[in-house]
Amino acid sequence: MKIEIWMTIIGLGGASFAIRLSGYLLASQIPQDGMWARALQALPGCLIVSLVSLMMLNGTMLEWISAVMVLVLAAISRKPTLAMFAGMVIIAALRFAIG
Amino acid sequence: MKQSNNWYLELLFGVRDMLPMSVAAATYGLAFGLLATQSGFNIFQTISMSALVFGGSSQLVAIEQLSIGLGAASAILAGGALNMRILLVTATMRNVLAVRPWWQVGLGTFFATDASVALMQSAKPRNMTTSYWYFFGGGASLYVIWIAVTAIGALVSSGVPNPQAIGLDFAIIAIFVATLPGMWRGKKDVLPWLLASGIVLIWGTLFPEYASWGLIGGALIGAICAGLNNEN
Repeated sequence: MKIEIWMTIIGLGGASFAIRLSGYLLASQIPQDGMWARALQALPGCLIVSLVSLMMLNGTMLEWISAVMVLVLAAISRKPTLAMFAGMVIIAALRFAIG
Repeated sequence: MKQSNNWYLELLFGVRDMLPMSVAAATYGLAFGLLATQSGFNIFQTISMSALVFGGSSQLVAIEQLSIGLGAASAILAGGALNMRILLVTATMRNVLAVRPWWQVGLGTFFATDASVALMQSAKPRNMTTSYWYFFGGGASLYVIWIAVTAIGALVSSGVPNPQAIGLDFAIIAIFVATLPGMWRGKKDVLPWLLASGIVLIWGTLFPEYASWGLIGGALIGAICAGLNNEN
């Protein structure tokens, strides 16, 4: 088991760094304007939307309600940190009240 | 490339703006530390994994694969598949890393995580969307906290309170949801975002074991859809 653990740590570490570097190297080949440049500009938003969708895929009803409240609060206040802490309080309160 | 004499100020702003993400990631790191110890990792191995891989979900999947006896190759493959999305993260950092020496590109990409994309939203009002040191500060501070909480998780093992009772497990979801309004660029994002989200949800429902590939597909197809729209 010990050697397997170290092989995993080193192998996954190397693979992760190769993936990170490849993303930048691939993107640096994309022209500065045109279709692919516009796609690259849209990528951060699409990536976060996809990440949130994946996180919410198996979310409970209480988590969905809390996530919508966080979204509304962040849109109104424009303060993501405040919205995050409010979300933690909301989900804790809902779980305590409803279970 | 943004040239600045105040690189340390940009670095500090990056550290400061990353704090909410660091708090959210800390809960995840704590969980990893606990699970790694329970799966037979010693403290040195746990810290080494966090230091070299720096990717929460892929680390968790890798130890899960090892603990059920599937071996190192399977653990690397599963963990690597989950980290494939970071390819898209570093792609979004093209303008931050451009015209930098190779060692800065290496460090900049090494510290890139999902949180780096969320940090772009805070960078906009500071006019630091292309500041290398801003993203370096954010990434490096998250890295230090990630390793520290992993170590704490491994050391305290069973003495951690139930994170669900105080909403800690929701922090990581909440912070990414909260960054969405800042990412919104107007009407032109409607279709790409709907496509991205729809693909992730449908793919994840149909193929739950390969849900992370849906994330990559959704983000890519959404971005390509935005690229095809010429009205900017």
